[in-house]
Formats: sequence, structure tokens, C-alpha cells
Amino acid sequence: MNRTMRSDGPLVLMLVGLAALGCGSADDTRPATWSYISTAIVQPSCATANCHSNLSQRSGVQLDGIRTGYYQLVARNFVLPGRPGDSALMGLIEGNGSRRMPPDFALPKADIDLIAKWISNGAPWSGPGSAPFTPSVSGTPDASVGN
Amino acid sequence: MRKNSCLVVGLGLVGAVLLFSARSAQAYPQFQFSSGTSRCAQCHYAPAGFGLLTSWGRDESADTISRGGDGGFLHGAWTPPDWLALGGDLRYAGVRNAVGGTDVPETAFFPMQAELYGRAAFGDSGISLYVAGGLRGATRPSETGAVIHSTAPISREHYLMWKPSATGAYVRAGRFYAPYGLRFAEHVYYVRRYSGFNLYEETYNLSGGYLEENWEVHATAFTAVPVGAPEILRSVGMRGSGGAVYGEKRFASMAAVGLQSRVMSNTEQRLIQGGAVGKVWVDAAKLLVMGELDIHNRAIVGGQSFNQLIGFFGLTFIPIKGVMAGLAAERYQEDLRVSKVGRNAVDLQINLFPWAHVEVMLFGRYQLTGGGSADGDPASLGMLQLHYYL
Repeated sequence: MNRTMRSDGPLVLMLVGLAALGCGSADDTRPATWSYISTAIVQPSCATANCHSNLSQRSGVQLDGIRTGYYQLVARNFVLPGRPGDSALMGLIEGNGSRRMPPDFALPKADIDLIAKWISNGAPWSGPGSAPFTPSVSGTPDASVGN
Repeated sequence: MRKNSCLVVGLGLVGAVLLFSARSAQAYPQFQFSSGTSRCAQCHYAPAGFGLLTSWGRDESADTISRGGDGGFLHGAWTPPDWLALGGDLRYAGVRNAVGGTDVPETAFFPMQAELYGRAAFGDSGISLYVAGGLRGATRPSETGAVIHSTAPISREHYLMWKPSATGAYVRAGRFYAPYGLRFAEHVYYVRRYSGFNLYEETYNLSGGYLEENWEVHATAFTAVPVGAPEILRSVGMRGSGGAVYGEKRFASMAAVGLQSRVMSNTEQRLIQGGAVGKVWVDAAKLLVMGELDIHNRAIVGGQSFNQLIGFFGLTFIPIKGVMAGLAAERYQEDLRVSKVGRNAVDLQINLFPWAHVEVMLFGRYQLTGGGSADGDPASLGMLQLHYYL
């Protein structure tokens, strides 16, 4: 059997692929809302097989849904509304004082900034239905944070 | 404007993949065409590949892929009756993971996979039962401080299938991955991790399709494992229901093009994804060219929607029997509106098959965020994996 191919095929694919790498704007126009952060950032990066999925629930934390994740982070004071600098979540994703999360690949700086912005705005609930938890601004971090 | 141009480029890449390359298989898509076998179901009992090998697949694993040996169950020491097929996979791995920042690189040695498979056929009815079960592997120790890793039992595949012949129609019901995309054995590849086929993300499905020598189609309706399911059945990923379709056309036993789409929704979000896969085997160069591109649209209930891109392009060189070397580039962009949240990866993968049933795999990966280190710390991963299958 004569097995031949167009010799320029892989080259074309590679070039088009490289062109696709430049997609998007340099400006971050994304919403600093929990429903977006959970869906676009937290669930794909954190709710994996050995981490914060329903299957493993590391540190007792489950982040595989908008509602579930909000409750876990806010009710357990990983997030202190209005205080990103004091929020354990920021320390974890920036790697300040503990091993950085996620442990396999740091979040893009733009994602970390977006999460900080959401917390600065008071970490309001956004998502289908009513808030699973009403945050307090005087919470203290959960003792298990960072373990 | 920028968003539109990006989508055009994305569609262009889909077109390019369609024009020049192809397909899906699960497990080792590198072996399609390169081993002289066109259909995944020739070597696997599952219609779209993955899991237990057929007797043909076992012969291929020894004669075509490995340097020698007997690919049969227990190296041919005992041959199960025709109605029964048995097998298993054992993997042990060592990894070195560096994520930058102030973290010191992490080194771990751990059991990655310990699974047994069984398939029982019921006479000449074409009906069979397939069950896989084993222990979960975990990179990091459990949190109790024990050195033993989390190795809870899990069954990620179990299904009934009606498949009366090698080609033609089939129906399958149970838990497995819906046929879709390039499903590598390595779940770290973006096209697996971010497309709904990450580790333990198998769903419960009712699936059907039709297989021919030069084409195949698969359609699947699925629903996620319920939250309260026993631990042995639990899964990860977006919990919802939906459907997936995959169609593939093969050309001259050396190329394939696949088109695919998947829709999934739950009470919080709706996901629509679609894309293409392509594959070309260049026999003269012993080179396999593979690509996949998927565009995802996610809509949050009561909120806005956004688009994502997941791509893979790789070259696999198979110079001699028992040696396979791959170089790949990957892209995952969690939101097409913002370039600096994209992840790029370059992967080097070397698979050695010194003897039937035995594999040594070396994997190296370098990942960059957005446009460079200003957008996030780069990361690297090195892995040595030892694999034995029964």
C-alpha cells in the first residue's frame, strides 16, 4: 500500500495552532463574581480526583459546584469578605505560608487577581438560587486551613 | 473584534485538523494505524477502545508493539475459555513536580493503578458483561499523616453490551467514558483533563453506534454518578446529564478525521463543546501526527456565558518495535476573552515496550501561563512509570 501524505500538513497545523495561542485580549474584562470564578477557575483546577472533588474532599473541602464551593470557602472562613490579605484562600493560591494550591500548576496571576477582587468586593454570592451562607466580616480562619 | 478573530482562528484550526489529519481512541491512540490496525475495537472489547484487550489485541501487543514475549493472559500460561476474558493493569510511578514560587519541587513515588478486568460473554447472543475494579492511586499521602496513600476501592467501568459482531451495530449501558476525542492513557493531557474525561470522570451511559472498516459513529446519553453514591462508585467533574456524539472517517488505513460534540447541564451551568480530531500515519517516516481541538461554551444559570479552547498537537515517532517517542504541544484557555489565562504545555513522552506485558514510560512536561512568567510561574513535571498488564 502506498502510504503518502501532503508534506505541508503538519506545518500548516502547527502554524494555525500557534496563531490560536494569541486568542483574547490583554485586558481582563471578566466578572469578579463567584459563579464565574467557581466555573472557570476553581472547579477545573481544584476539584480533581485527588484533591477537592466529591471523591477525595481533601481537608474536608469540596469545590465541585458553585453552591458547594461557596459554602465551603466562605462558611469555613477560607474567605474573609472584604479582606483578601487576611483570607486563607489567598495565602494558599499565592503560596504564602503554605504549599501553593493547586499543587500541580499555579493559577495564572490574572485568576489570583480576580479572586482577590471578588473577596475585596465582599465575596458576595452569585449563582442560581439564594446564597447557601451569609458571610460575616468578622470571621476567623478555619483551624484546618493550610493542612 | 478580538473575540471574533479568535473564534475564526479556532474554527480555522478545526478545519486544518479536518483537512490534514484524526481520531479517537482511548488508552493508546498512538497505536491506531502505526500498528497496522485501523479500528480501536480490533484490539479492545470496548467499541471505541480502552480497557481489556481482545485476543487480537494481545497478539498485537506482543508481536507488533513489544520486543517479544507472549501477550496472552498470564503470558499464555492459561487461556481462559472463549466466553471469558480477564486482565488487569498495575502501574507504579515516580514524579518530580516543580511549580515555581517558593515551593520546593515535590517528589513522590506511588502506586498509580491496580485494576482487574473481567468480561463474560453470554453464549452467541452478542451480550456481554464487563466489570473493572481496583484500588485508586494517589500522588500524595492521606491527611492522617499515614505514609500509605489513599487507595480506596473503585469501579470506574462496568457495563452490559450487545455487540454481535466485530462490525455493525452495538448498544452499551453502564459506566464508562463516552466515546469522544483523543483519550490518552495519560489523564494529564489537557484534552482529557479539561474536556470531561479526567481521571475518574466516567459517567453512567446508554450508548450505541455503528462500526465499519472505514468509519464509525457513536452516540451516548449520560448522567453523572449521584453525589451520595457509595465511595467505590464515586466520580469527579461536572455533575450533570447530557449527550455526546462522535463520528470518524478513516482513509487508506493511514489517516482519520473525527468530529465530535457534547452537551451537558446541571442546575448551575450548561456546557456545549465541539471539535475535531485528526490523525495521519506517515509510514515512510514512522511518524504519527495527531491533533485535537475543542471549543467549549459554558453558560452559568442566571449569569453569563464564556468560551474556552482546548487543543493538542503531537508527533509520535515509532522507529523500531518496542520504542515510541512523542513530542506534543498543548493549549488550554479557560476564557477566550483573556489571553493571559491560557496554559501552554510542551510534552515529551517516551514509551518502551521491552517485553509483552511490560512498559516503561518517561514523561516530561513544561507548562507556561499566558504570555510568560509575568502571567504566572511556569511548572515542570517529570515522571517515570512502570506498567505491567496481566
